[in-house]
Amino acid sequence: MGYLVAAYAVLWAISFGLVFSIVLRQRKLDSDVQMLRVMVEDEPRARD
Amino acid sequence: MKRRNDTLLIVLTALSAVLVMIALYLALVGAPDANLQSETGRYAQRIIYFHIATAWVGFLAFFVTFVGGVGYLRTQARKWDIVALSSAEIGTVFMLGVLVSGSIWAKPAWGVWWVWDERLTISLIQFLVYVGYLMLRSSVEDPARRARFAAVYGVVAFISVPINFIAIRLWRTQHPLIFGSEEGGLGPNMMFAFFFCLITFTIWYVTLMWHRIRLERSRDQVEALKQKIMG
Repeated sequence: MGYLVAAYAVLWAISFGLVFSIVLRQRKLDSDVQMLRVMVEDEPRARD
Repeated sequence: MKRRNDTLLIVLTALSAVLVMIALYLALVGAPDANLQSETGRYAQRIIYFHIATAWVGFLAFFVTFVGGVGYLRTQARKWDIVALSSAEIGTVFMLGVLVSGSIWAKPAWGVWWVWDERLTISLIQFLVYVGYLMLRSSVEDPARRARFAAVYGVVAFISVPINFIAIRLWRTQHPLIFGSEEGGLGPNMMFAFFFCLITFTIWYVTLMWHRIRLERSRDQVEALKQKIMG
């Protein structure tokens, strides 16, 4: 029973590790896109 | 269009989660016990439902990396590079799962965590080859060169998949042969759980690919905006 639990726990940990890594990276990039968009929009105004 | 795609992705993610839960139930409870003497052996046998499905996703992912590599070398289109990278990352993670779950199965079945037989050794080499693919990508600065090198590497590395697949047929390895053998195969009642896990993991792979490709597109967007700001 212990081996069965261990195997499934490891598989879940690896899968969720991948999912969380994707989610975290996506969040970081989304916030970067937001910030850069604001900078791009503000740039012409700053020149004026 | 973007909003529709986002909704579809949410639906697909939810569907994958539900299917994984059902697959887990089938693997742990629903499928009948294997015809084995020891209780430990019967429990351990239930590992194979997810172990094989995980291996299937690994092989499928490396095949998609191969297709992405060929696509990139033919067209130099960034979309193929994104497909290859996304699939290689997912495949490598799943191969790690195969190695670890297989090792945990081996302990009660064979009495050892690891043996250097052909199948296991080739699987380990295959995992390391794709870790190398990801390391190669992170070590080349120029995007065009990186994509070209990675495409060639991904195409060549794919040879490990058919070798790994036929290893248990070519050599007399300790690893059991699930299909095409009289002994060691699955009973008819176990087949439903087995194929359900296989289909579920395929859908799970498609979902992960979608998320991973979306991530890479966002990265491209960030790069494009940075270029715009810099001039």
